[in-house]
Amino acid sequence: MKFAPLVLKHLRKNWVRTLSTVLAMSVCILLFCTLQTVVEAVNFGLHAGNASRLVTRNNISLVYNLPMTYKAKIAAIPGVTGTVINAWFGGIYRDPKYFFANIATEPEAFLEAYPEVMLTPDQKEAWFHDRRGCIVGRKLAQHFGWKVGDTFEMESTIPPYRVGHPFEFVIDGIYDTDEAKYPATDLNSMYFQYKYLDETTGRKIGIGWLVESIDDPKHAGAISKAIDDEFENSDTATKTETEQAFQAGFVAMAGNLAFLLNGIGLAVAFTILLVTANTMSIAVRERQQEIGVLKTLGFSSGLVMTLILSEALLIGVLGGLVGILISAAILHVLPNVPVLGNIVAGFPNFGLSPQTTATGVGIALLLGLLAGFVPAMTGYRARITETLRQV
Amino acid sequence: MSTTDAAATTAVSVQNVRKVYQRDSLQIKVLDGINLDIPQGEFVALMGPSGSGKTTLLNLIAGIDRVTSGRVVVAGTDLGPLSEGELAKWRSRNIGFIFQFYNLIPVLSAVENVELPLLLTSLSKRERRERAMTALRIVGLADRSKHYPRQLSGGQEQRVAIARAVVTDPTVLVADEPTGDLDHQSAEEILTLMETFNKDFHKTILMVTHDPRAATRAHIQHHLDKGVLSN
Repeated sequence: MKFAPLVLKHLRKNWVRTLSTVLAMSVCILLFCTLQTVVEAVNFGLHAGNASRLVTRNNISLVYNLPMTYKAKIAAIPGVTGTVINAWFGGIYRDPKYFFANIATEPEAFLEAYPEVMLTPDQKEAWFHDRRGCIVGRKLAQHFGWKVGDTFEMESTIPPYRVGHPFEFVIDGIYDTDEAKYPATDLNSMYFQYKYLDETTGRKIGIGWLVESIDDPKHAGAISKAIDDEFENSDTATKTETEQAFQAGFVAMAGNLAFLLNGIGLAVAFTILLVTANTMSIAVRERQQEIGVLKTLGFSSGLVMTLILSEALLIGVLGGLVGILISAAILHVLPNVPVLGNIVAGFPNFGLSPQTTATGVGIALLLGLLAGFVPAMTGYRARITETLRQV
Repeated sequence: MSTTDAAATTAVSVQNVRKVYQRDSLQIKVLDGINLDIPQGEFVALMGPSGSGKTTLLNLIAGIDRVTSGRVVVAGTDLGPLSEGELAKWRSRNIGFIFQFYNLIPVLSAVENVELPLLLTSLSKRERRERAMTALRIVGLADRSKHYPRQLSGGQEQRVAIARAVVTDPTVLVADEPTGDLDHQSAEEILTLMETFNKDFHKTILMVTHDPRAATRAHIQHHLDKGVLSN
C-alpha cells in the first residue's frame, strides 16, 4: 500500500492517456457484458422448455394454423395425457415498443399443463369463468402498473384476428412462479381465453400450436413421431418436437447473432489488448530513467515489475468497472428502446447477472495483466547503467 | 595500524579491478587493474577526461555494475558474490547516489522524492515523513517540501537529490558530476553542502568531476586516464 501513491501519481500525470486507455478497456468489457447477457438470455430460453411437454405445429410454418380436429386425434395417441390449444394473438398495447407475448389458450388445460404458472384459487376461478378474462405475469403487471380487475384494450396485428375494433381484456389474475423451482418461467406474458378469440373473430381460426403433456419424457421421441405419422399424408402435416426444441427454433436466429457478435467482441478485445499493451509500453519506455533511479535507490527488479503491473491492473479494474456500469445502464434501458426492446422482451429474466459481472471483472484484470506483462518485463530486465546512460 | 584496523577504517576498497564491455564482437577495456582505498570519512574527488572510466568505477563502487575481474569491498561487504536482489538491498542501506541531472521523479513532490528510499524500510508513514522533512531541513529546503521538481531551480533540485541520497543515512555517498549541470553559485552551494555532510556527519564521499575547482573541495584527488588510476 505504501507504493500506491507512486502508482496513482503516474496514472494521474498522463491523465489523458490513462483516461483513453481506461475507456478503451471499458468498451471491451461493455461489449463482453452486453453480449454475454444476450447469450445467457438465449441459452436460458433454450433450457427453459419442459421435457415432459411437446409442441405440435404446422409443418410448413408456425404462421399457418392446424385444424381444430387435430386436438382430439392427438389426445387419443398413447402417451399423450393432455392437450392445450394456443394461438399467437400478436396484439400491440399502446405502443409497439412495449412488446409482450399475448397468447390465446384454454385456461384449465393450460394451468394443468404449466404448474410453474401460479395463481391464487380465486384468480383461477375468476379466469375460468370470465370470457374476456386474462392473466398477466408479475413483471408485466409491474411494468404497466396493472392490478387485478383492471381492464385494457388491445388490437391484433394478425389479419384473421382483426375485427374492426380492439379486444377488451379484464385482468383476472397476476401469475407468479416459484423461481427456485422454475427459474426460467417467463413473467412477462399475457394469456387469455381462446374461446374469446374464436368467438369474437367468428371464424374457425384453428390451432396456432398444440401443447401436449406426455406420460414420460423418455417417450418424447416416440410420441412426437406417432403424432407426425398420424398426419403425414393429410393436407396439413405436423411437426412435433419437445418444448425445448420448439423454443430453440425461436431463439436460433438470436443464437447465431450472439455468436457473430461474440466473435466481433473477441476481435475488439484483442485489439484493445494490443492498444493497452502499446500504451503501457510507451509509458514504461518514457520512464526508463526513472526505473534506473528506482533500481539505484535499491528497488529490486521484482518490485519495479510489480509497480508497472499494478498500473496496468489498475487501468484494467477501472476500465472493467466503467464498462460494467455502462453495460448495466444499457441493459436497463434496452427493453424500452424501440425495435431492440421487442427483441429482448422475448427473453425472460433479461439483465446483467452476477456471473457475467464477475467474468467481466476477471477479463478486465486479465487484459490489464497481459497488457502490462511485456512492459513489466522490460522494467524487470532494465539494467541501471543502460537506463541512466539514456539521460 | 594493524590490518584489521585498516579494514575497519576503509570505507571503499577496490582491488585490481578490470572492467571490459562487450560490444558485438568488440571488447572495450574501460578499467585496467584499478587499486583504490578510500578511508572512512574521506572526501575523494575522481577526475579525468571523458571516457576515462570515472563513471564506470563509480558504478562499480555503488554496486550498480559488476566487475569483469578483481574485487570491490564497500562498507565491509564484498560486492562480487551478491545476487542482484541482495545487491539492491545492500545499495538501499549503504549507498547514497547523487546524479548529475538530479533524476528526481517528476510526479512526486520534493518531500515524496526524499521519502522514496525510505519506502524500502519498515518505517511507518509518519516516521518516513519526519525523516524526509529532517533531510530537507538540512539541505535548506523544508519550505519547498510540497513543490514538484518542475517548480524548483536546478540547484534546489540537486539539494533535494542530496537529501534523498542521505535520508537513509548511508555509509558512502557517491556523486557523479553533481555540479555539472549547475551555474557557479549553485555549484558552490552544492559543494559546501557536501562538505557539510563530510565534516559534520562524517560521510565518506566519492565525487566524479571534470571541474578542477570542485575537486579542490575534496581532501584527496585521484586521476583516471584510459582506465588507469594515477594520484
